Amino acid sequence: MAALLELRDVSKAFGGLQVIDHLNLHVDEGEIVSVIGPNGAGKTTVFNLITGIYHVDSGEIVFEGDKVSGLPPHAITNRGIARTFQTLRLFLNMTVLENVMAAEYGQTKATALEAMLQLPRARREEKRIRKVAEEKLAFFGQRLAGYRHDQPAYSLSYANRRRLEIARAMATNARLLLLDEPAAGMNPHETHEITELIGKLRDDADYSILVIEHDMHVVEGISDRVIALDHGVKIAEGLFDEVATHPLVIEAYLGVRAEAEAV
Amino acid sequence: MSSLGGGQPGEGGLPAAAPEPVDAPDRVKVGVDEWVAEAEGRRAARSGLTGALVRVWERLPAPARLAILIGPFAIFPFITNEGNLYRYGLITIIYALLALGLNVVVGFAGLLDLGYVAFFGVGAYLYGIMASGHSGHHLQAEIAIPIVVISTALFGLLLGLTSWRLLGDYLAIVTLFFLQAFVIFVNNANGGLNDFSYPFVGKVDLTGGSNGLDQIDPLNFFGYHITTTKGYYFFTLISITLLMTMLYFVNGSRTGRAWRALREDPLAAEVMSVPVNRLKLLAFMFGAATAGFSGTIYGAVQSGAFPGDYDVGLLITIYAIVILGGLGSIGGVVIGALVVNGAPELLRSSSNARFLFYGVLLLALFIAMRPWYKPVVVLLGTIAFGFAVHGIASAVWSRGTAGHIEGGGQLGRALEHWVLLPRNTSSIAGWAYFALIVAALVLTLLRGWWRALALIPTLYLASFVWENKLVEQVSGATRLILLGGLLVVIMNVRPSGIFGTSRVEIA
Amino acid sequence: MNWSLFFGELVSGLTLGSIYALIALGYTMVYGILKLLNFAHGDVYMVGAFVGFFVLKWLGGPLAPAVTGWLAVAIMFTVAMLACGALGVGIERFAYRPLRNAPRIAPLISALGVSIFLQNSALLLWGPQFRDYDTFDLVGVKSYHIGTNFFISNVQILTISVSIGLTILLALVISRTRTGKAMRATSFDRDAAEMMGISIDRVISFTFFLGSALAAAGGIMFGLVFGQIFSLMGFTAGLKGFTAAVVGGIGSIPGAVLGGFLIGLTEAFATGYLPGGSVYANLYVFALLIVMFLIRPTGLLGSPVIQKV
Repeated sequence: MAALLELRDVSKAFGGLQVIDHLNLHVDEGEIVSVIGPNGAGKTTVFNLITGIYHVDSGEIVFEGDKVSGLPPHAITNRGIARTFQTLRLFLNMTVLENVMAAEYGQTKATALEAMLQLPRARREEKRIRKVAEEKLAFFGQRLAGYRHDQPAYSLSYANRRRLEIARAMATNARLLLLDEPAAGMNPHETHEITELIGKLRDDADYSILVIEHDMHVVEGISDRVIALDHGVKIAEGLFDEVATHPLVIEAYLGVRAEAEAV
Repeated sequence: MSSLGGGQPGEGGLPAAAPEPVDAPDRVKVGVDEWVAEAEGRRAARSGLTGALVRVWERLPAPARLAILIGPFAIFPFITNEGNLYRYGLITIIYALLALGLNVVVGFAGLLDLGYVAFFGVGAYLYGIMASGHSGHHLQAEIAIPIVVISTALFGLLLGLTSWRLLGDYLAIVTLFFLQAFVIFVNNANGGLNDFSYPFVGKVDLTGGSNGLDQIDPLNFFGYHITTTKGYYFFTLISITLLMTMLYFVNGSRTGRAWRALREDPLAAEVMSVPVNRLKLLAFMFGAATAGFSGTIYGAVQSGAFPGDYDVGLLITIYAIVILGGLGSIGGVVIGALVVNGAPELLRSSSNARFLFYGVLLLALFIAMRPWYKPVVVLLGTIAFGFAVHGIASAVWSRGTAGHIEGGGQLGRALEHWVLLPRNTSSIAGWAYFALIVAALVLTLLRGWWRALALIPTLYLASFVWENKLVEQVSGATRLILLGGLLVVIMNVRPSGIFGTSRVEIA
Repeated sequence: MNWSLFFGELVSGLTLGSIYALIALGYTMVYGILKLLNFAHGDVYMVGAFVGFFVLKWLGGPLAPAVTGWLAVAIMFTVAMLACGALGVGIERFAYRPLRNAPRIAPLISALGVSIFLQNSALLLWGPQFRDYDTFDLVGVKSYHIGTNFFISNVQILTISVSIGLTILLALVISRTRTGKAMRATSFDRDAAEMMGISIDRVISFTFFLGSALAAAGGIMFGLVFGQIFSLMGFTAGLKGFTAAVVGGIGSIPGAVLGGFLIGLTEAFATGYLPGGSVYANLYVFALLIVMFLIRPTGLLGSPVIQKV
């Protein structure tokens, strides 16, 4: 089976700093892949490259067999890749429901003129995406249910903001979700809940998932495969246990060699 | 202040004088996360009439709100004369129409376009070129208006292209420069000695230069001429009603949501499938077309287009309208236009202006100061202070009380015994103006009874400056001084405007 | 080629440019530290010119100054720079500081309000008419020539050299003094600087003081070079000063100077050489700004910004 997403020999530099160095990476249909690595390893840059916020210097990114590197971000999203942000970037002054509906822009066609005159297509689409948005929010059970729909996003708790970001990404009709540290800043209970949620996203909603995560319990709990990055280079790949015990990974996190030399 | 919002800092909305770290816990950050998060609470807690009105207003269905806003305007022509209809009615709704377009660009999409009123001018001039005695062409309005609207939209598209690469402040300066460029152009494009020589046609008198483009035709739809003020008034009123309705629908549509998303966070919007660049252009084009349309009406109403009408003065007026009404609030624009255009129109005659000035001071005093006896004390104190000063002055400095208030009516005559009116005022009044500004600024640093105490001489000083200086130029500089000051004060006290909802923004 | 026209425009371009450079420095410093476009800056420049004028009047006027001409000019510079420095500090304190944590659009609109307020206050107090500096009578304008085509007056030399001198002084203040270091730290990361014990308020006030004082110097130079000032002179000059700052790369001190000279030269040469230049020179400056944004949005000496996500 061909990979859903494939990074082929991708490189990216900022000034003289090589942030991503000839990286190869793939996510298969229905897979949950975790990217780990110390701070500054280039994990978020990978996300920014995939979603088109940064342009690759060399190499290409292929989604469902088509090259997507070089497309503007919104076009990439329309192909079926959506992400969340490590530092939450919700539309804070819009309501919860609007946040989700805004992400359905790419799936609607009605022009501003049609909306002004309330022509049938505009009204039909509006009805449809409202329903879709409510469905996506329903995925989170009571957390984002009912009366919360019309509250502004800024009134949500931190954990709920993370959930809303995921709902928003789901609403773009994505097949692949990129989750950037979904458990960051959550307490153990919420972390547990988000771990279950990610599994549910794959099992019940058929998303493939690429996730950056620092919490090793989460990584262990969800990953089919783990990729470790350091300084933009892939240093290990495989099952959680293999990667977690890989000497290069341990070195990247703990700096073993440097210490050994010092002694 | 408690009637406006209990969470605002202190009484005057300005933080304490002592320098304190930015993150001091006791300083309320206007417009920032937790402040806005409490907005619901503050609104619910609003006491008395204001709170009740706001709650009722918010529960009304949209058509009812539109009717309440537009209804009085529809009745107005039947209860007033031609001159008042023109000054208070027609100009106000033309400005409101213009502000509606700006509201799309700035309020919805969050693009700070300071070149906006240039499109208003483009509309007027373009219509003038197509239909006036000056140019010799006389196109019908049903052809000319679509041409104007489409061409201004294209101009908007061109200016909007800069927004692809420029954010916030950069966009502001480029668009402001664009406005300046427009003004320079229309001031000189009279085919004169220094003007451009165009390819193929050579020198052409496009705009009439600094004399303006005169003899613009009245709007002529299929042979039916709009000639009366009332005619233009209803034409504009219908246009604005339709536009408000359409904007209401757009605001609730995918386009409106995308605009707001782009205002909130352009990058997140782009990643969430919104083609941000296209929507920026759309906002610019929409705004420009609206401005062009209203400019056409304005040109026809004035039967001329003059460079000075489309300058920064108008820009500030329209911004004040949009901001006072609340960025992004469709209905607020109408109220904003009424306040910003209606009130200064009253200023045009100095006896009206006097009533307005003291009226607003009194009102502000009683709204802003709690408990109730404080403003009473201040008021009585100021009156006594004035008579004391006047008494002393008439004894020792006869020149200081020698002046007269001309055409002041009863209020004016009464004031002659209270406020100092030196005969040769210009330099004294200049220093007093300066002192007044300093005093007003110092007031913002004081608290409690100290502020009330300091308010007494400040108020007296204000009325001195008003009678001796400001009143001279009520329709010119004074008006813009007040508008400029108003913008600063609104930004400090209530950045969301009267009708706007408070927004949260995290840096 | 008409060399006398060429050199004439060159000298007047450099003179104009040195005035724009002084204005641009204020924009660039404030922007570097507050990320705020200080619309009122152009009006501070105008106020500076007027303060200079009133000092001159107080000294007995250009025809019969109480002290010698050059000393009078020096006093005008000093008083105007101090007064406008204080004005700048006041503007920041009352119109911008309360908004430091407000939504981004708020301080911009506040700045617009301050600008219109200052401009119309000047109109109210001093009227729309031109005021004469009478430079000829004040200092006795002399013209020097090199070769047959290159002319430069003592006032032009003064303007260019004072401008360069002030810029060097500013560069020294920023690079050598404690406050200068605090300014650089603040412009780099305000929050971090504050946590390191730098008094942000004081640094910002100081920045406004410096920037406004430089603008006042520019205003007086304008008066000396053109012999006249008027209450609406601030708006266009402010626009061009900001354009200079942007073209040079906002936040960069040498960039502001470079941009200033570039704008001045563009304006002068457009006046002399381009069609309609005598009335449309500002349109050409505008075109330069647009072209600059298209090819290098960060300006000549600005560093590219990487968007953080």
